[in-house]
Amino acid sequence: MEKLREIYESFYNALIPEQRYLAYLDGLKMTLLISFFAVILGVIIGIVVATVRVSAKSSKNVILKILAKICSIYITVFRGTPLMVQLMIIYYMIFTSRNTNPIVVGAVCFGLNSGAYVAEIVRAGIESVDYGQMEAGRSLGFTGLQTMRYIILPQAVKNILPALGNEFIVLVKETSVISVIAINDLTKMAGFVGTRTFDPLPPYIIAACVYLVIVLILSKLLSIFERRLAKSDHN
Amino acid sequence: MIITKNLQMSFGDHQVLKGIDQHIEKGEKVVVIGPSGSGKSTFLRCLNLLEEPTGGEIWFEGTKITDSKNDINKIRQKMGMVFQQFNLFPHKTVKENITLAPIKLGLMSQTEADKKAEELLERVGLPEKADEYPNMLSGGQKQRIAIARSLAMNPDVMLFDEPTSALDPEMVGEVLELMKELALDGMTMVVVTHEMGFAREVANRVLFIDEGVVKEENEPGEFFANPKDPRLVEFLSKVL
Repeated sequence: MEKLREIYESFYNALIPEQRYLAYLDGLKMTLLISFFAVILGVIIGIVVATVRVSAKSSKNVILKILAKICSIYITVFRGTPLMVQLMIIYYMIFTSRNTNPIVVGAVCFGLNSGAYVAEIVRAGIESVDYGQMEAGRSLGFTGLQTMRYIILPQAVKNILPALGNEFIVLVKETSVISVIAINDLTKMAGFVGTRTFDPLPPYIIAACVYLVIVLILSKLLSIFERRLAKSDHN
Repeated sequence: MIITKNLQMSFGDHQVLKGIDQHIEKGEKVVVIGPSGSGKSTFLRCLNLLEEPTGGEIWFEGTKITDSKNDINKIRQKMGMVFQQFNLFPHKTVKENITLAPIKLGLMSQTEADKKAEELLERVGLPEKADEYPNMLSGGQKQRIAIARSLAMNPDVMLFDEPTSALDPEMVGEVLELMKELALDGMTMVVVTHEMGFAREVANRVLFIDEGVVKEENEPGEFFANPKDPRLVEFLSKVL
């Protein structure tokens, strides 16, 4: 009984006095904003890179071939180095000015990193669509890009949604790394509360629960979306 | 309408088409037959540059389409193509399959395209399928929708690449029937097929392609009654 009371008090201390719950909310807001823009940037980069790489394969266009080479170097570098190192390099080399917007730093860093993974997922998705679809699109008079946009990508996205969802979930959790460059995300704020109360465990458990809830909500949304896209499958 | 001059096509070292000269007139129905691997499908696919020829020229309605200066996408709008595997868009309803290209290419408004789709579905005998998805249809129905999809672009010529080869035997009839109706309406058609009955009944001219060249061509009566090329005689003895 005494033990339970202790636990209750330590969590109470980590949440209520000095309106500490507001700290978590601020951190949550930062985490969500960074994740949101990073996902968007990652998806855009991923689709562009994958499209370039797939198109270059069947094309003789020299510029496209060079672009595809650049894309594949990008993927190699961002998949081949640790996220934390990338974050440091981007932060210290590119955003040297003191008052850089933390959301921009986070979105650019995580977006670039995620884009490399999304590109490979999207490429697998595009290649999973029967080549006859491309031929059908082209024979109707669509350009290669139009066929990609109206015919191939919608089908590709349906095939890769589980993998893409997984990537988003990983991304949300990985944003916690940004606390090392003094950006006040959820993890960092939990750390602050811990130093204030001299009891770091409860704040981190609270933060963990918040991440878990975000991920659960995200999974739910994705499965609803997946079911909606599957409507053309029913026989 | 379509002219090919010394049309050649190679895949690596393998030369599939060894110089084909053809002149397809407006309103003509040309049926192409030949053993598998003869290059007949490749010939058809070259006509709208789905395969890019490695030699020779192709002219369509006075435009040299093998010249990269000419916009092939514009030209393809006037050349409908029907595939062996149908290639309907599985993520779109039947009606959307038909209206997608005319709308997105800016040729029709949504209302015009919908009206056109309804007319075409009536014409291919599937008006009740408008809002279903392709994988709920039988093979024969899919191919009829694929034909409707091509017709929605108001093409000047229709290319058929073995349109009945992937169908159950009982569904071949409905597709051939629709193609016959199209022919009667005066559509210019180039058809690669193994359906000799169709060739005999509908074609103005039958081509026999073997080993990358046109070995024999004639109007269907003479073509089937008095084949001259020994390979054609042998081929016909196997398929008839």
